[in-house]
Amino acid sequence: MTFTATRTALTAALLSSVAFGAAAEDYTITVWAGGSGDNATYRWEAIEMAADLMEREAAVRGEELTITVESQAWTGWDDFKQAFTLASEADNAPDIIVSGHEDIGPWSEAGLIVPIEDYVFFDSYPLNTIYPNLIDVATFNGQIWGIPQDAEARVMYWSIPALEAIGWSADEIDSLPDRIASGEFTLYDMLDAVKKMQDAGVLEANMGFAPRVSNGPDYWQFYQSFGGEMADEESGKLVVDTEALKGTYQFFVDATEMGVVSGTHLGSEWDVWHQNAASGNYGAWHGGTWHYAQWTNQFGLEDFFNTVQYSLIPAGNDAGRANSITHPLVYLVTSAASEDEAVIAAELIAKASTPEINALHAVKSAHLAISEDETTVPLYAENRWLAAASERLAPSTNAIPNNSDFGVYWTAMFDGLEAAWTGVSSVDDAVAEVETTVKQALGDDVIIR
Amino acid sequence: MSSSADLNTGVARKSRRSDRRRPRISGLGLALLAPALFLLSLFFFAPVILTGVFAFTDLSTSTGIGRGQYVVTPNLLRQLGDQGLTEDDATAIASVSISIDEAGIARATEGGVDPDFLSEIEDRFAGESFDDPRAFSRELRGLPNAPRRPRELTQTAEYFETSVLNTRFDNPEALTAQLADVAPDVSSDTIAWIVDRSYTGARFTTANFERLATQKETLRLIGNTALYVAATLGLFNVGLGLFLAIVLFYTPKPVTSFYSTLWLLPRITPLVLYAIMWKWFTWEDGFLPIIADQLGLPSFNYMKGSVVTAWMTMISLNGFIGASFGLILFSGALRAIPMQQLWASEVDGANRWQQVRRIILPQMRWPILFVTSYQTLSLLSSYEQIWLTTNGGPGRTTTVWALEAFTTALSNYTGNLQYGLGAAMALVLVVVGLVLSIIYLRLFKFSELVSRPKIEL
Repeated sequence: MTFTATRTALTAALLSSVAFGAAAEDYTITVWAGGSGDNATYRWEAIEMAADLMEREAAVRGEELTITVESQAWTGWDDFKQAFTLASEADNAPDIIVSGHEDIGPWSEAGLIVPIEDYVFFDSYPLNTIYPNLIDVATFNGQIWGIPQDAEARVMYWSIPALEAIGWSADEIDSLPDRIASGEFTLYDMLDAVKKMQDAGVLEANMGFAPRVSNGPDYWQFYQSFGGEMADEESGKLVVDTEALKGTYQFFVDATEMGVVSGTHLGSEWDVWHQNAASGNYGAWHGGTWHYAQWTNQFGLEDFFNTVQYSLIPAGNDAGRANSITHPLVYLVTSAASEDEAVIAAELIAKASTPEINALHAVKSAHLAISEDETTVPLYAENRWLAAASERLAPSTNAIPNNSDFGVYWTAMFDGLEAAWTGVSSVDDAVAEVETTVKQALGDDVIIR
Repeated sequence: MSSSADLNTGVARKSRRSDRRRPRISGLGLALLAPALFLLSLFFFAPVILTGVFAFTDLSTSTGIGRGQYVVTPNLLRQLGDQGLTEDDATAIASVSISIDEAGIARATEGGVDPDFLSEIEDRFAGESFDDPRAFSRELRGLPNAPRRPRELTQTAEYFETSVLNTRFDNPEALTAQLADVAPDVSSDTIAWIVDRSYTGARFTTANFERLATQKETLRLIGNTALYVAATLGLFNVGLGLFLAIVLFYTPKPVTSFYSTLWLLPRITPLVLYAIMWKWFTWEDGFLPIIADQLGLPSFNYMKGSVVTAWMTMISLNGFIGASFGLILFSGALRAIPMQQLWASEVDGANRWQQVRRIILPQMRWPILFVTSYQTLSLLSSYEQIWLTTNGGPGRTTTVWALEAFTTALSNYTGNLQYGLGAAMALVLVVVGLVLSIIYLRLFKFSELVSRPKIEL
């Protein structure tokens, strides 16, 4: 009798613990976000918000779900990508990673990430509202690996007071973006204009033109301005267009020789660049849409719309076109996540991509919307800069190719640019060096034009 | 008998003599050495051997460090198409067939799919087939018992799917079997070729060394490294170290200890802090440019603003760390010089310069040898200070071999880190270091230093 009673009690206890175990789910999801400064906190806070939402939805369904989100923000890119790849090899990687879409190539080949399309429905809300071209950017080898976290455009900025000082009329300044878009106003016209500003004493020497100070997708815009194509659309192979590269390198060499930018500009400090850009010390400079947030929030730029004109990156010659590159970050689920964690992680990412939540990131960091619906969220729609950039710049943007070999080409292209720009080698030698390096590393997988 | 006795004594004598020459190996000695040998193999031999192995591979982020897998991707088929794979074969391999048959139902049941859902699938789609997985998933979602979570649905769909594309296999046999299943008309030679090419892991290759031997960049890196090592070593680590040691040798004791401590500051300051101090020192609006501005000299970012000043900054900031090392060693060596020699020279009327030239420097050969060889090796492999300050710029004008190896293997904007190429570069450094060590030891006749004393003590 006693024995039976004990056994019944034991069975009941066991059963209840099993039942409890089935109902209460407890997850810890780790998120690492790269290139994330003070303005980009919603890259991981959106996941925290999504976790809260998911817990509430589970409670409504009568389930008990606890999700703890642990996040790490990385300000840089090099150390972030190094940390992630090494952590993955050591089985120590986070469950969700926010990185540039170009990492999908090498990371998916190495098996560090899993295709998110296995975990979410792309024809359900909110993923069905995301712009199809952004989904393409997250696609590699016929599979969708990630969900776009933001979009952007890269911009040529112009100092309106400096343009006025060399006698440009208000009409000329207003029509500048259109003249650039049509290809009428080229990169060399820009050099002439900023040279005039320097000669007139409006700007100091070497301050006429201020390109980005470090490696980044931006320099591929100039390659496109001179007619270059990064990858062949039909075969998907990378393309080294030697004429376009020569045009690009020569442009920066010419700019240095004209004295509108210093030969050692690359590698100078971001903060100094931001400060000068925000203070109107440059004639023309190029950066991203998101820099607007930094200048207005941290560097004291007050009257942006009356002091700064903005446009696409002008064409370099007849072969090229005015253009802008978008470099969306993507949410990726890593192979470090267990199957259960991956399911939760993917659903969190999908929830974090709802228009309202993503708009918080877009507006706070001055990035562009990932869906048409997001542009109608009042917070976003009321933002003058985002509305303007979405209209003037976004339609002309394209992305760098998702190709695991692109890194080799990218590094070689930037090395060549530095070599030519600093005068370490001639433009022809620098281009020949890029051609040799890329050909040597990639063989038949690259087309040399 | 006697002759044999003589012979025996001869052997005994000979063996005693050889005993004295051959170092005796004692068990205790080995036991005492064991921890050191263990640490040496763990922290020196193992990394060098691994570097040596990695140097002959194409290891990178995309190959991963561990064992690779076998996966046929659309990109691979495209590449193979360029190398002779026929269009028909490629299409056959890329094909996906989804058929709702008994085998699939059995697999799904075994996999634990909800029986209600499964019976709905059977009722609705039995005997049908699809060629687009996404279309099939959409159909499944329409069923009343479809699972809420997308993952469960896609997993259920996979039980009915026969395809090879984008599926990762752990061994070549599994992929071969699946390929033969999906594309039975493709010849076994072609399948073997595809399986070989589908390996995602690293392969052995000598391409890294071929690339290093043929690219122009190598020459520039060698030039930069040679200039960096020679200038830092000559001007600071040995030159300034020796100069300071001699100056302090002749100054009164209380002053000496103060200055010696002062010169140690660069070495004991944490590296990152030291780098920041140099930035504060050399950047526009920093200490030096402000002073230069006051004096009417060119004032700009000396660290990154021009090639010459970047080199000067890089050499000085490394040199001040190295100088303290030389200072300590040389000071110690100076104290070992018998004072009588200096007193005697003073009696003979020698001035300070003559004392330095004729008495001090000749006796400083060993410390100079040690500092030169030790610091050459540490400078050859050091990149941290450069990385934190000029970062090889402006342009790539101050990039040295070790920094390039580091960025290639471990720190790269695009995320595809080339471990293999980086290891090859590191291996070159190891070999250069070994060769230089041998040259130094010969040059300074190290064997004399460690030879047996000519008189027995």
